[in-house]
Order: sequence, then structure tokens, then C-alpha cells
Amino acid sequence: MSFEPRILGILCNWCSYAGADLAGTSRIHYPPNIRVIRVMCSARVDPTFVVKALVSGADGVLICGCHPGDCHYSEGNYKTMRRIPLLKKVLTDLGIEDERVRLEWISASEGQRFADIVKDMTERIRALGPSRISAELDVDPREK
Amino acid sequence: MAIRVNPKIIDDLEGYGAEDVQLCYHCGNCSAVCPHADEFNVFPRRPMRYLQMGLERKLETSLEPWLCYYCGQCSDQCPRGAEPGETMMSLRRWLISRYDITGIARLFFKSTKVELAAVIIVALLTGIFFLGFGLWQGDINVYDGSNAFLPSSFIHNFDLALGFLVALFIGLSAFRFWWFSMGGKSAVPIPWWLYIKKVYLLPWHFFTQKRFADCEKETTRRIYLPWLAHLGLMLGYVTMLFIVMVFVKQLQAGPEINWSVHVFGYLASLGLLIGAVYMLRGRLKKNRTQYQRSHGSDWIFLVLLFIIALTGVTQHILHRSGLLLAANIVYIVHLMVVVPWLLRMPFTKWAHMFLRPLGMYFSAVRNEALTRQRSGIETTVPARKVA
Amino acid sequence: MESRECKIGVYICNCGTNIAKVVDCEAVREYISELPQVAIARTYKYMCSNPGQELIIQDIKEQGLDRVVVAACSPRMHERTFRAALQTAGLNPYMFEMANIREQCSWVHDDPQAATEKAKALTQAAVFRVAYHEALEQMMVDMCPNTLVIGAGIAGLTAALELADAGQKVYLLDKQDHLGGNLARVDLTAPYLDSARDLLTERITRVKTSDNIELLLNSRLQELKGYVGNFSATLVSVDSDDTEENKAQKIEVGNVIVCTGYKEFPAERVTHFGYGKLPNVITSFDFEKMLRAGRIECKDGEIPNYVAIIHCVGSRSPEYHGYCSRVCCMTALKYVHEIKSAIPSCYVSDLYIDMHAFGKGHEDFYRRTSEVKTMFLMFGKGDHPIIRSAGPKDDCQMLIEVNEQLSGEVIEIPADLVILMVGMEAREDATETARLVNISQDKDGWFIESHPKLDPVATTTDGIYIAGTCVAPKDIPDTVAQARAAAGRILAKIAKGKIAVDAIYAEINEDSCSGCRICNELCPYSAIEFDDEKKRSHVLSVMCKACGACVAACPSGAIKGRHFTDQQMFAQIEGVLR
Repeated sequence: MSFEPRILGILCNWCSYAGADLAGTSRIHYPPNIRVIRVMCSARVDPTFVVKALVSGADGVLICGCHPGDCHYSEGNYKTMRRIPLLKKVLTDLGIEDERVRLEWISASEGQRFADIVKDMTERIRALGPSRISAELDVDPREK
Repeated sequence: MAIRVNPKIIDDLEGYGAEDVQLCYHCGNCSAVCPHADEFNVFPRRPMRYLQMGLERKLETSLEPWLCYYCGQCSDQCPRGAEPGETMMSLRRWLISRYDITGIARLFFKSTKVELAAVIIVALLTGIFFLGFGLWQGDINVYDGSNAFLPSSFIHNFDLALGFLVALFIGLSAFRFWWFSMGGKSAVPIPWWLYIKKVYLLPWHFFTQKRFADCEKETTRRIYLPWLAHLGLMLGYVTMLFIVMVFVKQLQAGPEINWSVHVFGYLASLGLLIGAVYMLRGRLKKNRTQYQRSHGSDWIFLVLLFIIALTGVTQHILHRSGLLLAANIVYIVHLMVVVPWLLRMPFTKWAHMFLRPLGMYFSAVRNEALTRQRSGIETTVPARKVA
Repeated sequence: MESRECKIGVYICNCGTNIAKVVDCEAVREYISELPQVAIARTYKYMCSNPGQELIIQDIKEQGLDRVVVAACSPRMHERTFRAALQTAGLNPYMFEMANIREQCSWVHDDPQAATEKAKALTQAAVFRVAYHEALEQMMVDMCPNTLVIGAGIAGLTAALELADAGQKVYLLDKQDHLGGNLARVDLTAPYLDSARDLLTERITRVKTSDNIELLLNSRLQELKGYVGNFSATLVSVDSDDTEENKAQKIEVGNVIVCTGYKEFPAERVTHFGYGKLPNVITSFDFEKMLRAGRIECKDGEIPNYVAIIHCVGSRSPEYHGYCSRVCCMTALKYVHEIKSAIPSCYVSDLYIDMHAFGKGHEDFYRRTSEVKTMFLMFGKGDHPIIRSAGPKDDCQMLIEVNEQLSGEVIEIPADLVILMVGMEAREDATETARLVNISQDKDGWFIESHPKLDPVATTTDGIYIAGTCVAPKDIPDTVAQARAAAGRILAKIAKGKIAVDAIYAEINEDSCSGCRICNELCPYSAIEFDDEKKRSHVLSVMCKACGACVAACPSGAIKGRHFTDQQMFAQIEGVLR
């Protein structure tokens, strides 16, 4: 059986989650590999959430917020914009491939864009293969 | 090349009876319900569109109005009250005036008063002429034989002369009809032998009016009365025209009944009278969709025809009853109606008697030409009904 | 993760067949019911229906459930519904979590097996998370009864009057120096042909004489601070720039209605119509001006014999705007009537893509326009008519070439005057307005409703309402209905006197706070204060909007984002990935 990556999506409530809902109401299909959780703002995404996801068996983490300038909380996404690259730097230093963590801006009207990004990310992670962290930590839930 | 629209045409057609065509919004229900619309002839919708847009040339070359017998199903189905059936009828009137080179048809259709005045003038002139002629050379108390008030040989020659004149104008109109739709103005090249292959359709449609019967076929009502009345009237008319033209001597001879000729006269009169009464009654009572609206030309047509039949029958009865003076007077009245009736033939509704079967024949020829032209490129698609 | 003592009820919705046709709901139920804390798991065809909610209420009461998970549609759709059900059953509404197995599962996946697995994971995540939920209490705050209405078109006038008539204070703001907005540029209105002037005059007179309405013309909003019930707005004159603080006027309002309207599509963007080059090609607004002046004429003063009207200029086109502007079809028909009554001999052709006669009385109006012999011509959506000057032999100024759809013919239409029915588009300042009042715009620039069907005049920001054509193109009746609806919503809130503020906000544990003040600068609402004596920060909960930026940033982990705690998030992540 081919490798089916597990991707955690952390979406902000106002833009990206609404955009993902719009993909649903518009019946725009995308791979089932993504599983979404909701935060009020992408600025709530604590780096530990990403680390927690990676050790819990995620092969990738997608963080989505409002486009710069469109944040429901005025400037939350600017904080995310600074925070995530920093996190990615730390993770790459730890040997985690850069592509496993991705930050994207998706507005409430971009259902298609959300689906496209999920499709693209699923393909990239599939090509990358399973994340080594969960295997090394021996917590791969798929073994259970 | 883009075709210029002419918004004025729709105003012009109003005079011919197409008053509601602008209401059409092209749902296509009319063409869907029409038993005669096929893939090459999408009517009434298409000619209605041409009319709305004033595409004069497209209308002129169209055969579609002639494929319609006005059963009225399209008008019944029309959600907008755009009267597609009446529009087709009006287009036939307009086309008759287009085929006519004299301009008389247009004058008559546009004004019932003018037509009526023309009929009255010709009738009076005819009356004066025959009265004068009869009084001058014969005896008003003699109906037939050598000293007859209106000798049959004279009437025969007069008929032939009149017939020739009428045939000339009808022929001209028919030629222009062909020229517009099939000849010089048509875009479809038609092989000559197709005309021969399909020529049987001309007498077929002329004598049977089968397609009018087909109109009823697809309805639930299945009453063939409109067709029967129309067929009776038309066959009666043709029969009468034929025996008057050829056997007027035998017809006028008497008082004993010459069954070999008269039996046809009786049958024809019966057809004419029943047909005319059926239609007049229908138009008065407006009991069918196709009788809802009557153009002045429809009334003149039926009333004159009814008077002709009535006076014809009356003079025959009077003659056989020995009331010769009365028979001669009715004869004069008969002629006063017959002459204007015949003379206006090529310029009025009457022309449809020839033009409709001709149109159906042309259409069959053109359809086959189109099918052949197309099958050269793609596979033959059997002609079927489309909306 | 340690197991917490709780009794969770899980309800998996079939949503008719919306969920059930892709997701095997029974399999999800079986899987979930084996989780240790789950006391009961059920499937039902419509959880949001009354019997569905009854099911939950009954189970809470009879089985003593202390937490509930509903796996159904998006929480943005029905979270409130189910929270209310919990409250009815006597449970704290925050002891609830939704799993979105419709919008983000059954509607976007077609492999039933994969979708079912995903639904299991999403539901499991909700179960894990809800175990850590805490009972939260909503705060009640005072509500300022004043309202700010931005835009004094027909929507703004109507909303202002509705509020003022109920005895409430209204600030009516407009950038222009007069009232009436776009409607003041219109002559008659479709389909009843009554005059726009008449519609407006009555409103304007009443607005001007109302004691409760303060008119602020030539003014704009510079800043809006605060939260629902307690906004503080800064208004300045349109001529002043942002630095001129002295001219600014500050007002206190509880709610804001945004009805800033639309602007017309600039016809010069469509080059093939020759607008700006051919003198007698004009826009619908140019024509309205002509109608209001009472004389329909060409540039040279001649009375036109042929008028052509072209629909969908800038609308329903992939190049410009994809949407339908809704009012242009009927406006075009209105022009036909106005032209025919002014110049009976004039021939009018109307070039449309589709005739949208959707509203009350519109179809009749369309029919009446047919009766006056309008030449209706249909062109294709991807196609467009081309206008060129006529030759000296022609009896008209211009010729329009178009591939007419209903006849299948390429035709040429004579025209002396061409009217382009320009559509509506979002105003240039819509982005700035959206930013100022903190609402969103869709891809076309229109303001986004809280819910397009169920909550069409509210926005995602509490206390900010939208009405009229700033939301999407619409006609006068719809605009007025929205304005009244927005005013009605506000009056209902004012009647209550106090409003509930969401129980979700950040809290600082003073024992853990190191007093580093990192969070102080992060908060976009200045909701975090630093206590100089204690050397600790604390959150002003009413001001906090719960974005969580400070929670993620606190190096000591001293800030707790209520309802989005680290524990809850971790549990959810674990559940969704297991």
C-alpha cells in the first residue's frame, strides 16, 4: 500500500476555516489526508502545537490565517508570519524537512485555494515519505 | 456578412394581422408542439424571430409559413399570448403580397375597405356589362338555348379569358415564390432531378391536405372536422371551377338534369356550402383557436364564396323550376360576385390554394437537398422533430 | 494522556444523506462508543432538528451526561444551536464541542472508507478536547444605545429613521455634502415607474427634522475602537488628513450600521464599446442624468430615432465581474418605457445575455416592455456586441454588430444612442471601511455577512451590521428590507439594555507571570494592563477579543486562553492524529 500522509491543519476561525467550509459548500474535492482543528486566530498557534503534532504522528502541519492586512484581530497574522519561520528554522536544525510545516494565507472566499493547497501539500509530503520523528520516538499510532 | 435588422417590419406586419409577435420570448413551446416542425423547419419560433428582428430577406425566402395549416396548437401552448398561429397566418398574407408584382395584394391586405370597394366596383361593372349584353342580344325570359339571356358559349369564352388572366398572375406569383425560396435568392443549391423525384407531392398535398389531418393526429381531441371542412370546401371549389370552365354548356342546359355533369355540381356545391357555413360559423362564434381572430380578408373570402355557392344553387333550382326570369336575375348576381372573386384570386388569401401545396413540395425538395449536402460531410441524420 | 472522569454523549448526524452517503456514520458511532469517557453515542438523521436536540437534552437529563460532542456540519453553522440545547438541559453551554464532518469531510471527499476514517478522527479529537472543557460564564456589559450609520443613501436614511422613530440617537455619516446616495442620481424606478425623487424626499425631510438624528455630512470615519455596546468612533471632515487631530469629533456608539453602497462599473474599462471615443455611447448613469434633465438627445442635440441598450457591461463576465448586478435588467426595461413615452417613434433595441426578471412585478414589467415593441436581442455570455460609426448612407449614427443567439444570425443594429448598462462594483474605499470596522470582504470586495442565508445583516464582528449594496448588488426593496432588519436587530439589543460578551477571553495567572510585559505590546486591543505595584500583567476581559496571540507568546505559560487552552488543543491534536 502506498504511503498516505497525515497532515494536521490549524486554521483560523474567521478566514481560513471559513474558506475550508466554503470548499465544502462548493463541493470542491481534495485529498482526505488533512485533518483540521480550529483556532480563533493563527496568532494562537503556539510552536508547541506543531511539535506536539509532529510527535503525535503528523507527517506535516499546515497553518492557515487571513491574508496580511485582513486579520480579524487587525494584526494577529503578522505575529504568525514572524513566529512560524522561526519555528521552521529550529525544526530544520533538528533535521525535520522544511516542507513538513507550511504557512499559508487563505481568505473566507478562497475555497478553491484551500483545496489546491491541500492537494499540493499532500503530494509533496507523499513524495517526502513518512516523518521520522514519530518512528524514532516509537509513537507511530499506525502501528496500534 | 452581418444582416441589418429592420425594426419597421414588425409595424408593417401588424396590418397583416401579426399584432402580438413582439410578446414572444422564444421558449420554443410552439415549435415543440407543432406536428410539422422538423430539424430543417423550426417554426413557428424561427419565422417569429425573423419577424421580431425585421430580417426581411430571411422571411421572404422562408418556406415555413406554407407548411402550416393553422390548427392553433402553438397558440394554445404559447405562455405569452404571442399568437404564433396567427403570426404564421399573417406571414402567409405578407408573403402573398411579396410574391405579387402588381402591389394589389398589399393594398388589399392592408385595407379591407380598399378591397371591399374594389369588389363592389368590379361587381357593379360586371352587373352593368352582363345586363347590357343580355338585354341587347337576348331575352331575359330565356335561360338557355339559342335566344338565351346569357348564352353559355359566351359565358364559356368569358370564363376562359378570365381563367387565363388569373392563371397568368398566379403563375407569376408562383414563379417569384420559387425564385425567392429555391432559386436565385436561396442559399441552398438544389439538383434539378430532385424536383422530378418529389413532384408527386404536389397533387398529393393539393388533393388530400393530408398534413392538415396530421395536425389533429397528435392532439388528444382527435376531431378531424377542421380538416374535413377545409378539404370539402377546397375539393368542392376545384370541382366547380373545373366544370364551370369546361362544362358550362352542359351545366346551363336544361331543364332536365344531366346527371353525368350535374352530380359533380351538386357534390361540389354541398362541399362549398357546408365548408363555408362551418367556417363562417366558427369565425362568428370564435369557437376554435384559429377562428379567434379574423382579418378582413378572411371575411371577404368566406362571404363571397358563400354567396357564389348560394346564387349558383339558387339559379339552378329556379331554372329547373321554370322560373326563368328569376333564374337570369340570380345569374347576374352570381356573375357579379364570381368575376371580382376570380379577378382578386392571385392577390388574396385564395392564392394559398396553390402556394401551400407548392411550398410543401419545395420544402420536401429542399429538405432532401440539405440532407444530401450534409451527409457529404457527416452521417445522415434522419429528419426528426426538434424544438 | 491521562483519563479524566467524565460522561460524554456523542451524536453523529447523517444530515439526511449529506453526511451519510459518504461517511459510514454507524461505523463512526461504533468506534467512538468504545472510547473510555464516552457514555453514549448515537446517530440521527438531523441533529439540528427539534427531535435531534431533544435527544441530547433527554440524554443529559436521564443519563447525567456532563459533556456533549456533535459530529455534524461546521461549528460556524450550528455551534450556537447546540450550545443553546445544552443550556436548556441545564448544562453549561461551553461543555460542548463540534466535529465538522460535513463541510470538511463528506462534502469534499468521495472515497467512503477514507472519509469514514477521517470522520472517526475528527470526532475522536472533539471527544478528547471536550474532556478538558470547563464551564464558562458569559459577562453582561452595559450597552450604549446610540448608533452610527455610515452612508446616507436609501439604506442609511431608512435605518436611521427606523432607529430615530423608536426614540434612539443616531449619527448619520456621509462623505458627500448631500443625502440620498446613489439613488439621488436616478430618475424613475422599475418596475412601477415611480420617481426616485419622491422616494427620497419624504425620507430626507424626516431625517433633517428628526431630533434624534445628528447629520454628519462631508465626514468620514477615521477610527473605531471598542467592542459591541461600547464603541468609540472618531469622525473627521473628508478634506482633513489623518494628522489633523483638532478637527476630529469623538462619539460613543453601541452599534454601527455600514451602508456605504456601491459605485458604478467604469465603462471605459471595456474598450470594444468605444465609450469615451464614440460621442453617443453613454452609460446608464449618463442617461439617468438626461432623463432627470427631461430631454433625451444625442451629443449634437438631435432626437435619436434608434436607441440601443446593452446589458451586463462589466457584469457576468470573466474579464470584469463574474456576478450579476441584479438591477440593470429592470433598469434597462425602465429606459425603454421612458424613451417610448418621450419619443414614441423611436425604435429601441435591447441587447441582453439573459433577462433576469426575478423580483415582484418584474415579469409583468418585462411583458409590458415587449408590448411596446422593444426589439429584444440576445447575445452570448462569452461574446460581445461591437459598435462602430455608421456610413454616410445609413440613416443612423452607429451600427452594432452582434451574434444574435435566438436566431443564430450575425446582425447589424442601427443606433443613434447606445446606453451601456454598467453594473455595480464595490467602492474604492470599501477596503478601508472594512478595515476600520473590522469586517471582511469577499473576492469582489463586497462585505461578508455573518451567514449569507441565516444572518444576512450581521457580520463576524459583533455590533457591526451591513445593509444594502455594500453587501452585494441589490434593488431598492431588498436594500430597504436589510436596512430595517439591521435597525431592528439593534433595537432588540437596546431593549435588553445589557449585552452578553463572549465568555472566551484570555486570563493571566499572576502567580506564574514574570512581569516581562511581552504580552502588553502584542495585544491589538490594549486589553492587557501592567500593574506597576504587583509587577504583574492582567487582562481587561471586556476588551479582550480572544485572539490568543498573547497566550502563544507568553514565555512563562502564564496566560490561559479560555476555551482554547493548551491542554484542550493538545488533546484535540492527539485525537485527530490517532
